[in-house]
Parts: sequence; C-alpha cells; structure tokens
Amino acid sequence: MSEIVLETEGLTKYYGDSLAVDHLDLEIPRGCICGFVGRNGAGKTTAIKLMLGLLEPTAGSSRLLGCDSSALTPAIRQRIGYVTEGHRLFRWMSIAGLEKFQRAFFPKQWDDKFFTDMIEYFDLPKKKKIKHLSNGQRAQVSLALALAPNPELLIMDDPTLGLDAAIRRQFLEGMIGLIMREGRTVLFSSHILGDVERVSERIVVIDKGILRAYCSLEQFQEAVKKVIFTFADSVPNEVNIDGLLHCKRIEKQLELTLVGTDDEQIAEWAKSAGAENHTIVKMSLEDQFIEFTAPANQKRLFKWEER
Amino acid sequence: MRFSSLLHKEFRECLPWMLLAAILFVAVTSVLFQTETYSENNSYRFSRLSPGTVISSYKITFYPAMSETGPWLFFLSIGLGLALGVRQFWIPNFTGTWPFLLHRSVSRNTILAAKLTAASIAFACSIVPIWVGIYWYATRPEVFAVPPTFRFFIEGWIFITLGLVTYLGAGLSGLSTAKWYTTKIFGLAFASLIIITTFSQRSLVWVLTLIAVSAAILLSRIFDTFLRREF
Repeated sequence: MSEIVLETEGLTKYYGDSLAVDHLDLEIPRGCICGFVGRNGAGKTTAIKLMLGLLEPTAGSSRLLGCDSSALTPAIRQRIGYVTEGHRLFRWMSIAGLEKFQRAFFPKQWDDKFFTDMIEYFDLPKKKKIKHLSNGQRAQVSLALALAPNPELLIMDDPTLGLDAAIRRQFLEGMIGLIMREGRTVLFSSHILGDVERVSERIVVIDKGILRAYCSLEQFQEAVKKVIFTFADSVPNEVNIDGLLHCKRIEKQLELTLVGTDDEQIAEWAKSAGAENHTIVKMSLEDQFIEFTAPANQKRLFKWEER
Repeated sequence: MRFSSLLHKEFRECLPWMLLAAILFVAVTSVLFQTETYSENNSYRFSRLSPGTVISSYKITFYPAMSETGPWLFFLSIGLGLALGVRQFWIPNFTGTWPFLLHRSVSRNTILAAKLTAASIAFACSIVPIWVGIYWYATRPEVFAVPPTFRFFIEGWIFITLGLVTYLGAGLSGLSTAKWYTTKIFGLAFASLIIITTFSQRSLVWVLTLIAVSAAILLSRIFDTFLRREF
C-alpha cells in the first residue's frame, strides 16, 4: 500500500454553535491528485486550514507527511506548497520581491528557472507590484510561488476562483506541470467541476461539513445516475428503491436521481412498478455533483423551473 | 536568512510610518527651536527687564522650546505605536495575508519576533535619535539660558517607551479575535491605563518600573495569543 501523505481522523470544527466540519475521515496516498469539492460554505476552506494547522480542531486530528497538523514543524512546512484562497499576497511587493521573500524559506529546493519560466509563460513583468495585478495574474504568481520550491504536497484552496476560462486553463496547465513530477500529491478545492474532471484522479465531496463521497472520479461518475421511467397510466405515488436521492414527476414520466444503484436493481424496480420503459440519462460531473449535494425537497429559485 | 527576510518585509511595512513620525518631529522641533533660542527671543525677553525687577527663578530656568517638544514627542510616540500596531496586527486581518505569512518554514515565534524587532527598529531609527539630537543640541553652550536637565531627557525617553507600550497594546487588540466589549479591548485599555498612571507618578524609578512590567505583561500576552490564535 502506498504511503499516506494526508490523513484526517474524525476531524471536526465548530465555530461557536455552527458546525463547519463534521468528523472528516480522509486518507490521501502519495502521488494522488485529489479534487476537493463542495458548495459554498460546505467547509472546504475550514478543512484545509485545519489540515495546515491554521485552525485548531474541536475534535479529531489530521496529519500531513506524518506530522500532526497542530504541530507542523518548519521542516515539514518546507515540503508543503499552499495556495491560499483568493491569492492573498503582500500587495506592496513586486513579483521579484515576492520571489526573493519566498526563496528565503526554501533555500535548497527553490527552482529559479522553473519560477522564471512560469512567470514568462504567464507574460508577467517581474517588476510589477502585486497591487497592480489583476485577480488572474495574482493567481498565476501565487501558483508559481507555490510550485517553484517543488513541494511534495501541494494544497490549493479554490485556486481558480474568479478566473476566466482562458486563465483557468493556463493555471491548470501549470498545475499539471507539477503533477508530471513523480510522487507529487495535490489536493485542491474547487467548485468548478470541469477543473476537477480535467486533472483529478480522486474526488472528495463535502456537504455541510460532512464527507459525502471519497472515491475515484470514475466511481463517482458511475455511482450517480439519472433514470427516466415512462408509465402508460399514472406515475406511482410511492417510490421505494435503494439509493434514491431525488424524485421528480413530469406527467407520465418519473425522473429519479440515484446513487450506488446498479442497472439490475433499476430494471427490477421498473418491472415491479409497471413502467413501460426506462432510460438512463448520461450526466455531466457538474450535474451529478449538483444532484448529489442538493438537499431533498429543495425549492426551485425560479417558479418556471417547476413546470 | 529566513529571519532577515521576515525582518526586511516587516521593516518595509513600518517604513512609511517611521519616516512620517521622524519628519514631523524634526519639523516641529525645528520651528519651536527657531523661535526660542538664547541668542534671540530669550535675550530679548530678559533685556526688557529693568534693573531691580524681582522675577521668579522659574522664569529663567523655564525653557519653553524644550518643554513644548514634550507633548509633540508624546503624541508622535503614541501615534507611531498605534500606527505600527495597526499595520502589523490589524491590516493582515483585512487583507487576508495571515495564511500566506504563517505557512513559512519557520515557527510562529520567529514570525512574531521579526514583527517586534522591526517595530523596535522603527522606533530606534526615528524619534529616538532625534530626541537624543535635540537634547545634545539644547545642552550646548549658549543655546538656552539654562540647559535642560538630564531628568528632562529621561522624561522624553518615558514618552518613547509609552509609545512602545501603545504599540504592544494595539498589537494585542489586533490579534484578539474576541468581541470588542470583551477581551479584545484589553490591549488598548491596558496601554491607556498605563499612560494615565504614568502621568500621575512623580518618581522616575517608579514610572520606569511600571512601564517595564506592563510591557512584559503585554509581550507575554502577545506571544501567547499569537501562538494559540486561529488564522
């Protein structure tokens, strides 16, 4: 079994009475690229800050590279790259100044050429101050700063937030540059499922602080499915099928969103319910995620959606 | 190298406030001294006294220019302390740069030590040398009718140390995540209390002891809060 680089055990965090992260259990092996997804306020940033020792857990623990998160030593931090949410950097510093600042903390492992190449690739002048950069440019600097020390573990908190499609692609390509290096582990949170789909091997889905799924991307894509049943007469009032997430009735059709239900079970239920036929609809990862994390009986924002 | 990098960053952030305090202090004392030196106004004032006039010795030993620098030194020192405390411990809360700063390959103690050292240097390089310079100038022959005493010089130092106490108080309040009406106000309230108490004391030894003890209390609270705080 490969070495576990990031591990959390019953990680829990309360802010006063509000539960942000609820008994999070994760084990991320070395070399894994893991997408950490959840809706706004799901607890992604809190979980990441707990892992990095920036917050104290209310209960449970987490370990990075074998070291307890609440007591990360400077030597361990040196092996971890961190891209903060919103790419908050020192605004008065120039890119060159930030490079000098960051390099001081990674004296042996800093890759000057890699940093310069990345900055040139992103077409950023090194003399430019951070305060004069756009959000996307700050994201690029932030990524270059995190990647240049060649970290063993890279943790990124919503790195593509607020970036346009072109810059997001550049950003992901930069990230892939790190992934290409052997044995590097990446955990990145995002709410853009397309980004996750593009680079991740595994997916962590968190909802209201609770871990809803931790599996390979393929497993998740196979597990969540939408099935449309067509009935000759009326749609049954009660639906009893394993893994039912959501149920929607449209005239003589019944639309079910299911998780972990295999095709045989679906066929059996269709037969027992008297459905004329049924179709399994192919869903995008984004649709799967939305259906998977949507609360039951969620009201539609716009009334026309209910038609 | 890591500490010097942190120190450089912190000092650069303190620099504008340090220069502002220094420039203001030089400008104010220059104006005050220009109008109140022995060779000009003092001699003019004494020359108006007719023979046989009885005057209070206080009038001779009183040197307005020097004493007028006192309030300026006090307010500039307090202002500089507040500005540095806010810059180092409040602004990162709003700019959200704490996580980036704290994810360094150094301990939190080192990061805090760099901040405190930078602020001390900012004090040491701005109003301290100017105050020493002023005292040196004022004690030169023929500048004032009666040169200022050494006690006067020490009183200036007390104002400067009160600025440092204010800095620590502002820093502690900035670090606190509690509500204003609870413990967040402690740092600033404690510093204010020390300033008020200092003014009510006459013994310099007692005042210096009070400042040293209060600074030690604030320092220990700052280290404790910084090590425990969630960012």
